[in-house]
Amino acid sequence: MNRRVVITGAGVVSSIGTGVDEFWHNCLQAKSVVAPIPENWKRYANLHSQIWSPLPDINPDYLGVARTERLQLDPVSMLAIGAAREAFERAGFNLVPDAERSRLFSIAGADAARTGVYLGTGIGGVHTLLHSHTHHLFQRARATLKDYSENRAPTQDREMLDGVLALMAHGPRYHPFQVSMLMSNASSAAVAIKFSITGPNVTYCVACASGTVAVGNAYCAVRDGCIDIAISGGCEHLDDEHGSIFRSYDIAGTLVRDCADPQAANRPFDEKRSGFLFSQGGAAMLILEDLEHAQRRGATIMAEVIGFAETFDAHSMMSLAPGGEQIERMLRAALADAGVGAHDVDYINAHGTGTKNNDETEAEIIDRVFGKSVRVNSTKSLLGHAIGASGAIEILVTALSLRDQTTHICRNLEAPLRDLNFVRTAGQFDLRVALSQSFAFGGHNAAVVLRRFG
Amino acid sequence: MNNDVQQRVLKAIAEVLERKEEEIRLDASLRDDLAFDSLKQMTLFILLEDEFHRTMPPDDLLGIATVKDIIDFIDRKLREPAPT
Repeated sequence: MNRRVVITGAGVVSSIGTGVDEFWHNCLQAKSVVAPIPENWKRYANLHSQIWSPLPDINPDYLGVARTERLQLDPVSMLAIGAAREAFERAGFNLVPDAERSRLFSIAGADAARTGVYLGTGIGGVHTLLHSHTHHLFQRARATLKDYSENRAPTQDREMLDGVLALMAHGPRYHPFQVSMLMSNASSAAVAIKFSITGPNVTYCVACASGTVAVGNAYCAVRDGCIDIAISGGCEHLDDEHGSIFRSYDIAGTLVRDCADPQAANRPFDEKRSGFLFSQGGAAMLILEDLEHAQRRGATIMAEVIGFAETFDAHSMMSLAPGGEQIERMLRAALADAGVGAHDVDYINAHGTGTKNNDETEAEIIDRVFGKSVRVNSTKSLLGHAIGASGAIEILVTALSLRDQTTHICRNLEAPLRDLNFVRTAGQFDLRVALSQSFAFGGHNAAVVLRRFG
Repeated sequence: MNNDVQQRVLKAIAEVLERKEEEIRLDASLRDDLAFDSLKQMTLFILLEDEFHRTMPPDDLLGIATVKDIIDFIDRKLREPAPT
């Protein structure tokens, strides 16, 4: 079976906007949210990068989770649920409250057993893990030290002890639902429970390519007739009280270093790039649907998914293989799967992190495989890098670009590192076939190919 | 018995069970009448922690069998010094 697969709905939470309309409007305006990292993080380590892209306060109505759910879910799962809810509604599905459990829904017009969840996340519930772990480490030690400071310590030591006690601050509890909150598959499970989806439920942990690999595999499942509908995408929430997650990327030398002008610091594909802008996270969810199924119910189609491929470098945990042989193989396989040639591709949403190594290798491969005429941009030039969510967000941008025949600029690109057709001014373009690609720590490479519909 | 505490406890139980507050009797057994299993009981107590801003470690909850036991337990908790 080889069915046509279309995108009929989407939802998104990102640092530059919640909901597809606000997000896309801000993309086209080249909006970027860049803020100083929390002061508290600097008490724990000397950090090289000083900026990040935080999420906005998200309206609880958007997330659609009750208090009993909120208290049992890591924020990453709430982001996924919110984006999934928006995606189903935008796809025209009616969400029907369960007769006995009113906070859960079924999807009218969808066969729950032939609907699947394909979700990517780089790190899953790491926020919960660190929150509870801090309590685990410090609760008893801090209580002992506090008692000593208050009752027996020499007066001259109390200021120093108060400082240590402040550094040992921790949350009020070790969460009783710790396991089900932090496990990597929690978000895909939470989405399926919320919307009563009983088909395949898969989590892809492929670091920065998680969202792309998830959408790609969802496309394959619908195309091959395993399911009729997939809710698919990526989610990430990279925040903890002490800045430990930020530090792990910072110490690896991946984050933007030159922060003198925060608004100009994040500059993928520019000669002056110095690393990626750390994003607090986000989520993007897409409804992938069998074309005939979508047409039978009169759905509005955003774009068609026509190809997918993935390969692995087998070279280094943290560096792209020089020359990009496996990336090129992946791209040619994705094009073959899509039944198009490299010259047919009008637009590439690049991985485009802003690191020295990625952008140089990626630009070289684009030049070699696609040439200099294909339009290229980096959504990370706006949002920063939302790790497991980024691939799905970028596929959404690619689909919206095909739908509206326009796309966003590559922000802060002043001196391109290579002579490629980077999008530097907004405008209307003739975009028929487009590709979104992601590369990940570990050595994963993946791309999804889309086509304008209609 | 503190009436405000009683109302808020009943509301939390109703939230967990997705039932109406007026259906919940004070002498109801959590296990036998309201069908609380261990997961629902944990859910209820994280909800009560959120509601009353007090930590309720699982060991403190031994011996709680009825709705009234919970209300009495919260009453006692609220008389303890607030956490810093």
